[in-house]
Amino acid sequence: MAKRALITGITGQDGSYLAELLISKGYEVHGIVRRASSQNTARLEQLCQNGNAPAAKLQLHYGDMSDSVSLFRVIKDVGPDEVYNLAAQSQVHVSFENPEYTTDVTATGTVRLLEAIRLAGLRPRFYQASSSEMFGLARESPQRETTPFHPRSPYACAKVHAYWATVNYREAYGFHASNGILFNHESPRRGEAFVTRKITMAVARILAGTQDKLCLGNLDACRDWGYAKEYVEAMWLMLQQERPDDYVIATGETHSVREFLEVAFGYAGLDWQKHVVVDPNLCRPAEVGRLVGDASKAEKCLGWKPRIRFKELVRLMVDADVALIKSQQGRGHTAA
Amino acid sequence: MRSAIVTGITGQDGSYLAELLLEKNYHVHGTLRPGADATKSWIAHLLSNPALQRRIVLHQIRLTDSKPVKDLIADVAPDEIYHLAGQSHVGLSYEIPEETCEFAVLSALRLLESLRSQCPHARFFSASSAAIFGRPTVAPQDEQTPIAPVNPYGCAKAFATHLVRAYRESYGLFACSGILYNHESPRRGPDFVTRKICRAAAAIKAGLQHELLLGDLEAKRDWGHARDFVNAMWLMLQQANPDDYVVATGVSHSVIDVLDATFGSLGLQWRTYVRQDPALVRPREPVALLGNSHKALVNLGWKPTVTFEEMIREMTFAEVERLRETCG
Repeated sequence: MAKRALITGITGQDGSYLAELLISKGYEVHGIVRRASSQNTARLEQLCQNGNAPAAKLQLHYGDMSDSVSLFRVIKDVGPDEVYNLAAQSQVHVSFENPEYTTDVTATGTVRLLEAIRLAGLRPRFYQASSSEMFGLARESPQRETTPFHPRSPYACAKVHAYWATVNYREAYGFHASNGILFNHESPRRGEAFVTRKITMAVARILAGTQDKLCLGNLDACRDWGYAKEYVEAMWLMLQQERPDDYVIATGETHSVREFLEVAFGYAGLDWQKHVVVDPNLCRPAEVGRLVGDASKAEKCLGWKPRIRFKELVRLMVDADVALIKSQQGRGHTAA
Repeated sequence: MRSAIVTGITGQDGSYLAELLLEKNYHVHGTLRPGADATKSWIAHLLSNPALQRRIVLHQIRLTDSKPVKDLIADVAPDEIYHLAGQSHVGLSYEIPEETCEFAVLSALRLLESLRSQCPHARFFSASSAAIFGRPTVAPQDEQTPIAPVNPYGCAKAFATHLVRAYRESYGLFACSGILYNHESPRRGPDFVTRKICRAAAAIKAGLQHELLLGDLEAKRDWGHARDFVNAMWLMLQQANPDDYVVATGVSHSVIDVLDATFGSLGLQWRTYVRQDPALVRPREPVALLGNSHKALVNLGWKPTVTFEEMIREMTFAEVERLRETCG
């Protein structure tokens, strides 16, 4: 019988890649989506329309991380073998403006989900999407599984809380529960509010002549950027191990926003300095340190390592956005 | 005259802190849950004292509701806020994890956010706990020890500790966490082992009880007196700069030490009455939970004034007194 997986945050970047991966492995995939007047399932369109992945392989259930009753009901109805908790308010900047909502969904939501699983009497394997933001002002570089956390934003505080709740359910109740401490991971499906996608979309629009200026915050911020499609493989691998554990997933390279600009604009034959405007309002109230991860444990225990490197990732995102803008303009023309 | 808001004012720490602040001539605003009866709490003696009535005001609000929290801070415009409210029992946090988590998360956030928008110069103290260290690998623990909680209570306290630091670093708020080790007194909740032992010893002495069931007798803790600890809270908010501090005695005692001191002060042999209940035994920590409060000594000039033996004596005789009052 096909294995059943339940994904929270299935409509997001990681959720959609993970759903594709699991369906390709023969899973029956269930996702939790919020009820809203407009549909937010664009990233799942391919899956829903693709004839090779019949609708029966992907089922969406209404639920909400802030509603424990809905989580309990979905867990009971689905009876999953594996649960991937990817849902969160994932923008650090937004978390300063909406700290209560961010922590309710991200921290308390994880406790609700773990508790719903426990109360339902089920023992699916559990994956928690933890984040490199938890290291914040890190005491050592590169950061690894043993590096103490120093979260610098409400988002990071909430992720640390969810991390320990996951460890606690593993130790107190014997859950097969693992944390993936994922460093930044990007793709053409990254939300447009995130700096990488904001840049690659700007490049595509500048090429198309529909945008000129790009407002950014701290250009010196350094991150370890990997490719989301590869990172969801690590999530799956963690739940296939005999024992649950926590793993850093990263490329081991760090690059500044400035470098991202150079590669993205340079690839398109543009000079970023002619277009970028620095807006101090976009800087975070407290910036984190240079984030760079050491994923050697994941390589050793999971056999996972990144294949797509920084430049390739940037180019792949620019290519995708150039194609996207072209197709939108094409549609515009036909409509006219 | 300075004013302070104390959340959780009816609890052990809240009541001692209210006494301290009133003694220092503060206006004290206490919060308690709607429907809670303060006249049956540890501050009843303060409420019934006519000389204090003008300086202590109670507000029945849920700290998880944003509007009343915001209104309270705007109306009082306090100089200092002491956030002590919260479900403080580790065992109970396993039974009601969502509530334990939700309360800690929302109350800390709503207070800090209201402070930021309504009263950014007020000073903020948050009661953290040694439980944030979980099962530490080094002893004694200090402010540099990695935070790694192992139960829902510890997770909730760790969140609040991180949040207080993040708000201090992000917005420059004067916000401090006191990482408090166990602190006891005659006002400790009856579920906690020290008070449980003192109550039982007094009842055994009076002939009302014949047996006491306990968990791991070898378990060791760093036990201080709550009255000393609230003084450290106050001191933290009187400094030039905000910071986090471990507050502890630096001395660890076992449950057997508590038994010796309690039963001994009543002229009893505890071994005659105590039975071990395996159901109450929790896994033992690899190293002792023992705090190093050197930083508090250097920066705050704080050190404990009540010894372990004095504290247990005070607690034991308080129970004897209570029994005498109730039994006539």
